[in-house]
Amino acid sequence: MRPSDLIQGTLDLLILKALAAEARHGWAIAKRIQVASGDVLQIKQGSLYPALHRLEAQGLIKSEWRENETGRDAKFYALTKAGRAALEAELTQWERLSAAIRLTLRNA
Amino acid sequence: MARLVDALRFRVRSLVQRGRADVDLDRELREHVERQTEENVARGMTPGEARRAALATFGGVQNVREEARDARGVAVIENLLRDFRYTLRALLREPMLLVAATLSIALGVGGNIAIFSLARAVVFAPPDARDPATLVNARVSHGSHVTYQRWRDLDAGGALERFAGYSIEGEVNWLDGGGGGTAAVSIVPMLVTANFFEVTGTPVARGRPFSATEARAELDPHLAVITDEFWRLRLGGDSAIIGRALVINGEPYTVVGVLPPHLRSVAGFGIAPAVYLPLNRSLGPESRPRNASIVQLVGRLKPGQTLSEARTALDALDRRLARQAGDTLYGGVQEFAPVNTFRTGKEARMIGLFLAVLGFVSLSVLLIACANVAGLLIARGTRRRQEIAVRLAIGGSRPRLIQQLMIEGLWLALIGTAAGVGLSLVFMRVVNSLSLPIPFPIVLNLTADRAVFLCAIGLVALTLVTCALLPALQATRMSLVPALKREEPFYVVRRFSARGVLLTGQVMISTILLVTAILFVRNLIRTQVTSPGFEVSHALVAQIGFVQGASDRGADRPAFLETAVGRVRSLPGVADVAYAASVPLTVYAGSSNGLSARIDGAAQTRHVEFSREIVGPRYFSTMGIRLLGGREFSETDAPGSPAVAIVNEVFARRFLGGKNPIGQRVQFVEDSSDFRVVGVVANSKMRTLGEDERAAVYVPLRQSTKDVRVGFVIARTQTDPTALVAPVRQALGALDKSVAITVEPMASALQFALLPSRIGASVLGTLGMLGLLLAAFGLYALVSYSVSRRIGEIAIRSALGASRGAVLRLVMRDATLHVGVGLALGLGVAALITSPLSAFLVAGLSATDPMSFGGTALVFVLVSLLASWLPARSAMRVSPVVAMRLD
Repeated sequence: MRPSDLIQGTLDLLILKALAAEARHGWAIAKRIQVASGDVLQIKQGSLYPALHRLEAQGLIKSEWRENETGRDAKFYALTKAGRAALEAELTQWERLSAAIRLTLRNA
Repeated sequence: MARLVDALRFRVRSLVQRGRADVDLDRELREHVERQTEENVARGMTPGEARRAALATFGGVQNVREEARDARGVAVIENLLRDFRYTLRALLREPMLLVAATLSIALGVGGNIAIFSLARAVVFAPPDARDPATLVNARVSHGSHVTYQRWRDLDAGGALERFAGYSIEGEVNWLDGGGGGTAAVSIVPMLVTANFFEVTGTPVARGRPFSATEARAELDPHLAVITDEFWRLRLGGDSAIIGRALVINGEPYTVVGVLPPHLRSVAGFGIAPAVYLPLNRSLGPESRPRNASIVQLVGRLKPGQTLSEARTALDALDRRLARQAGDTLYGGVQEFAPVNTFRTGKEARMIGLFLAVLGFVSLSVLLIACANVAGLLIARGTRRRQEIAVRLAIGGSRPRLIQQLMIEGLWLALIGTAAGVGLSLVFMRVVNSLSLPIPFPIVLNLTADRAVFLCAIGLVALTLVTCALLPALQATRMSLVPALKREEPFYVVRRFSARGVLLTGQVMISTILLVTAILFVRNLIRTQVTSPGFEVSHALVAQIGFVQGASDRGADRPAFLETAVGRVRSLPGVADVAYAASVPLTVYAGSSNGLSARIDGAAQTRHVEFSREIVGPRYFSTMGIRLLGGREFSETDAPGSPAVAIVNEVFARRFLGGKNPIGQRVQFVEDSSDFRVVGVVANSKMRTLGEDERAAVYVPLRQSTKDVRVGFVIARTQTDPTALVAPVRQALGALDKSVAITVEPMASALQFALLPSRIGASVLGTLGMLGLLLAAFGLYALVSYSVSRRIGEIAIRSALGASRGAVLRLVMRDATLHVGVGLALGLGVAALITSPLSAFLVAGLSATDPMSFGGTALVFVLVSLLASWLPARSAMRVSPVVAMRLD
């Protein structure tokens, strides 16, 4: 599935969720989402980096250059306090929405 | 909040380190490709294949970079800066537009800042005193002043922390010993209670203020604190002045301090006395009747005391004091406000009204100017229709375009305002160096301070909104296809285009300005030709300021005046001469009275209002006021002989009932005066040229009980009075060196009476002309612009045989409509606005003066005909062949 097929705004949620456990760099975030979704979601870099920069501009995540597992420098992103709160809020919202959609699809 | 700060920091960092952010992103993306490649290799691809696959998932690297940059929020600020640069370059390419807009805005803004700074200096600026928020102007009981005793009781009464008193009435004679000779000069002192400096905390730059203990009136203090201006201009900035003595009213006063430059006195209104003197035996209560109100109150609140608490306490105290003094009618607080707030009271209201009219007028001029600039920008927007359409078509967003057009407006507003501030600074310098023809020392120290700066910012905002918003909205609202094809937009032929409405508004406002301007100019002309009812061109006035106080008590002033009259009479060229204690139409005009009169011993009294003039023998023949019956005063109308008076025609007609007034007995109940009328004279103007028939009673100075502090010798001359000024001054100066003598032709003594109409006529006249010019310019621009858009149409019409008249009508139809509507509205509004101004006008000139209204209408019709005929004529001259090839 291409990101544009995702419901608008879901990419941000996925990124925030991918960063919930630990700080990751861009490639690892994409990888994480791909693996976690059982290879269904493949985030294109063309969407990923603008989204990361937007989230950073919004103060939801912060970045830092440090060595990655292969020993090269990579830019690691981590949730800020605000980002963590936003994730909570978005998750609740998402749960409610998807539950509602599921219900509708089953009953309507 | 933390998030906001984070986000902001990120944006600023991104902007400042724009290059580094991009490098950062490149590194990040490279790293991503590396990792993907490694993984692809791990999955078994060849390195080349792996890299291609990794890159393929990317899309364009440049795109990512652009999008990431947008996401960082850099774009907004970057675009803004770029727009500032771009629009400035675009404006510089159109110097005509820039010059026209700058001039319009500069004139409008300059006028507004000038008037704002004037209003600030006169009514808003707080005096220089310690903690002005807890210093209050107070009026209690009868009015502005209280008696010395009342001040002492209030000060000790504990309602407020302290009360100080001051007075700026009257003048003293200072013996100017500089420059070899000695001459008495009349200066205006601020007479203050001993505690004045302690209560107000008025700062002293050199020396010290006098203290409440050393300056008690009972100790007869002879101390002085002088102003910086007096010290520099009159004493040559003598550095050893502290401790020296000034001879004032013949007594030495020791200078203890010099005030800082440009000090704003507690009296407000820019009033700047020359010296501050403590009340003493000569100047203080003992020199005046016991019940004379001699000081104004300024009080200091107790620490922590609120204004309303203080007011209540003072009200109770004053009522108690009034009751104790047997003063049952009065008592209580009339005015109570901190010195740093608006002045209230009658004078302040008059000045405030005047400044409000000025402010309204100058804001109107600014609006007209803005309408012109808006008109220019709309025209320009239409010229740039194609460019704007292209930009919209290829995806430029409308907000972004509006932003650009608004920034253009901002540049114009900023440049225009900067020029306007420059103009107003010039104005301030001129005003600061100006001395007004008024007998008070008023120093208007206009400065460009923070408030003026804020005012300028406000004007920039106002200018921006009024002159740029409408054009920006208009220019970006279009249907693209016709605009791209350079077809005419529909709104050009629509009757009420935005520009048309602007023009109508402009004509309306200029009509109002012009009506008031013509009204005031006519008023000025009338006041100058209005005869005041006495001789002006061949008369001169010598003002004699007597020394007041103990040293001179009991001096026979009438005798001095009689001697002076005798000396002047012997001078060649003098036709007649008399003395008086008042001169009409100056600040020393006679007193206004409203009293209960008993006419010819009638049982009933009636209320009479009149002006009381105190004069000497031969006054009427000297002044050229016709004697209608009875006789003038003579030397024998003295104390001891029967009390007499002369009345004017109005008084006789209004109060003495058709009977022959000569010999009638008049008694005034309040001041127990009782006299017989011995003469009737023609009416003349007393206080203002605009007044209508004021009743007057003339009393012989010899029989008056009033203390003569200032006397006048009036001479009628056979030739130009200026030639006699010097001889008269010499003759009078030789009599007594201690009196201050000012001699001037009657015409210049009356300048004060003409001042309001002068100022009104010059200010409104200038602004009215400015408004007319701007409106004419706007009209011309609109018509020539719409003609230029329709040249093709006009050419076709003439080619098909339309007559010149038909073409002219076509072109002028729009202009006529806009001007007509604007003019009609303007005349209507002007009729409403001018009626409250009638108080400023001379009798016989009505506020709805047909000449002013008709004249304005005529001027506008002529100006608009000219403004639209010029472009119409050039349109008709264009050959159809040329015109049709244009498109």
